[in-house]
Amino acid sequence: MKTIDEATLKQIVGEHNILTDPSDLYAYGSDSSVHHALPWAVVRPETTEQVQEIMRYANKNLIPVIARGGGSGMCGQTVPINGGIMLDMKGMNKILEINLEDVYCRVQPGVVDDDLNLALKQYGVFYPPTPASSRIATIGGEIANNASGVRSVKYGATRDAVLGMKVVLPNGDLVSLGARTRVEASGYQLHKLMIGSEGTLGIVVEATLSFVPIPEYRCMGVANFDSLKDAGDAIGSIMASGAIPSMLELVDSVAIKAVNKTMDLGLKEVAAALIFEADGMVKEAVDYEIEKMRGICEKHNGKDIYASYDPKERAKIFLGRKKLFPALSKYDDNLASTSLADDMAVPYSKMAEMAGKIHEIADRHNIVMTAYGHCGSGCMHTKILMDTKRKDQWQSAKKAITEVYDYVRSVNGTTSAEHGIGLSKAESFKIEKSDSLQLLAAIKTALDPNNILNPGKLAQAPENWVTATNLRYSVNS
Amino acid sequence: MENKVKEFKNLEKWQGTLANCIRCGYCFEHCPLFKHTGWESDAPRSKIITAFGLLSGELEPTEAAAHKLFSCFYCKRCEAACSSGVPLTEIFTDAKKDLLEMGLEGPGTTSITKLSCARCLICVGACPHEARSFDGKNIVTDPSKCQACGICIEVCPAGAATIENTFGTGRDELIKQASEFLESHEAAKAIVFACNWSYYPELQASELPESETFDKQYEILVNMCGGRLEPHLLMAPFLHNAHGVMVACCPDDECEHGGNLRAKKIVESLHNTFKTLDIDPSRVQLVQIPAGDKTLFQAEIDTFVDHLNNLGPIR
Repeated sequence: MKTIDEATLKQIVGEHNILTDPSDLYAYGSDSSVHHALPWAVVRPETTEQVQEIMRYANKNLIPVIARGGGSGMCGQTVPINGGIMLDMKGMNKILEINLEDVYCRVQPGVVDDDLNLALKQYGVFYPPTPASSRIATIGGEIANNASGVRSVKYGATRDAVLGMKVVLPNGDLVSLGARTRVEASGYQLHKLMIGSEGTLGIVVEATLSFVPIPEYRCMGVANFDSLKDAGDAIGSIMASGAIPSMLELVDSVAIKAVNKTMDLGLKEVAAALIFEADGMVKEAVDYEIEKMRGICEKHNGKDIYASYDPKERAKIFLGRKKLFPALSKYDDNLASTSLADDMAVPYSKMAEMAGKIHEIADRHNIVMTAYGHCGSGCMHTKILMDTKRKDQWQSAKKAITEVYDYVRSVNGTTSAEHGIGLSKAESFKIEKSDSLQLLAAIKTALDPNNILNPGKLAQAPENWVTATNLRYSVNS
Repeated sequence: MENKVKEFKNLEKWQGTLANCIRCGYCFEHCPLFKHTGWESDAPRSKIITAFGLLSGELEPTEAAAHKLFSCFYCKRCEAACSSGVPLTEIFTDAKKDLLEMGLEGPGTTSITKLSCARCLICVGACPHEARSFDGKNIVTDPSKCQACGICIEVCPAGAATIENTFGTGRDELIKQASEFLESHEAAKAIVFACNWSYYPELQASELPESETFDKQYEILVNMCGGRLEPHLLMAPFLHNAHGVMVACCPDDECEHGGNLRAKKIVESLHNTFKTLDIDPSRVQLVQIPAGDKTLFQAEIDTFVDHLNNLGPIR
């Protein structure tokens, strides 16, 4: 293990902002993925100047630096595969400005997504990308992963809401990218380059974000289906019809069973259900969208369809979806829910086939997989439920993941919709982007010639994710 | 990684559960320790990771690792919110038992007894968790039983019972936070002392710009169990021109430490004192809030602040 100069770091951020005890380092070695690796120190900067000084020190001494927000990443993005300094950006947690006149807000990267929306709510506006983990996910982490969530079908992902940012480069220089205006055509859109770069190109120290009005009316509906194919076909038809849902979610039988085990929401255990929502400032317009989606669901054999404007009813319909990720662990007491093959995107017309493929592959490999996600955006999520103690289950999972992503690419889908690549999705990412890997490497070298920013991720990730780091599970030999 | 279960006899049974925790981190927002230090390694998820590390042999059992697991106020909000159904505090308790056998005690949030103890044994009888006993010479605390509710501190006439690591919930820290708020906000009217069960956090970990907070009329301070409130603490904000103080605790039969009944008595006695001083006793109010009912909590605060605005400052 390479050592770091603790005294220098203490001088930069103060004694109260550095952790080096093994028990702290061990805790910071995990996120929500299957991976685990130890940083050499956890450092919590409070100012841009401190980030600059840390980067200058790390660049000079060739020490890896991994920026971390809430640690809710599912693919090992913040797991320090080569050790180094874990930069806990939660220390920079100030909402700097809410500018209603020019319709933007400025925040530091450690601001929690839900906290920002709570601050915006009193002005009748919201920041829309909001992933399911919004209670802990930070804006910096969301930028690093180009996060999105249930409303991305209408409002887009993080890249659509970020107008500009300030970034500290590996050499410590501070640059302002993008603008504070809605449009910008002034050369390379470098702030967009940072979005989704998973902390490999620069450290975001401030972001300028746009927001939109909170709609007057929201109506949410649910439709049950006896076949996953019917539900998938309904999604394709809804999106092709020109309907504008503000949410279009799929949950399959595995997901429904898991939710029913943790919450009494009275969900019917059917093959699949669609949750659809429309919003707007005029009720008639919302009614129009809801009726359109209801009709399409009926056409595809959807049943028990109902929709409601009542906030309590809507909350009840949505609660199961919101808590689905943690609830999956309750599907079967002997199976753990692992963040593997956790997201992907496919064209709308392939949604039904994709969902079926996931179950077919899982059955063949004797594991359980679930199909759910923000299907209105083409985004499909799954998780692999398996006995994590069994080595053979990991081998089965590995084969299943390869097959899932082979299919995704074969239908012109993409490896990640919104969770990013990190370590565990790098295999498919590298195949998908094979003709641009050199370009990616050239960009990385131009910005980070010493390769100190989150090394070993994205295109640099090891070939085999199972052996890339320690697994965070106990596996019997 | 090889499985190396060794000395952790009590923790061992949780091996499957530790794998089932999907480490989503949604427990952060509920933890007063995390909210105080801001370090992820103090959050409930990290305690689960620590327990896994100890059990798997990846993490050495040390004083520092033990301190993590012994630092918990047992408000249990993390496990109430956990959709993976992980019984976090039961796991922490079992880890504590194993660590104790190895001679590791934390210090964590375990209550201790200082030399000024008069051996009156009041705390032994008052401890709702049977964590305190008299060994013939001294009062001793069983760290695996202590839930850091602080009832012992409130009942101790000699001021000998104490919790060293209070994570912002100690009396002096609360008085300091209250005075800082009252001194720095012109519109400040009230301090709301809320037990962690009653309090549904507003912002989790972010700070608002000054333009958003300068007209704030009240501050919510988490004091863990309502039973820990002392008259001295409740009176302190009035020295800094507070118009009133609110105490939020659990409904009668819902407090795990019996602290709400204690809080009621304290507030009643303060009411009597206020009457003697010819001050409107409604300036100190106790409300009972079921766990996580933020709507009711907010409504009670709004009504109280309106009431204080009508009363005006104490003359």
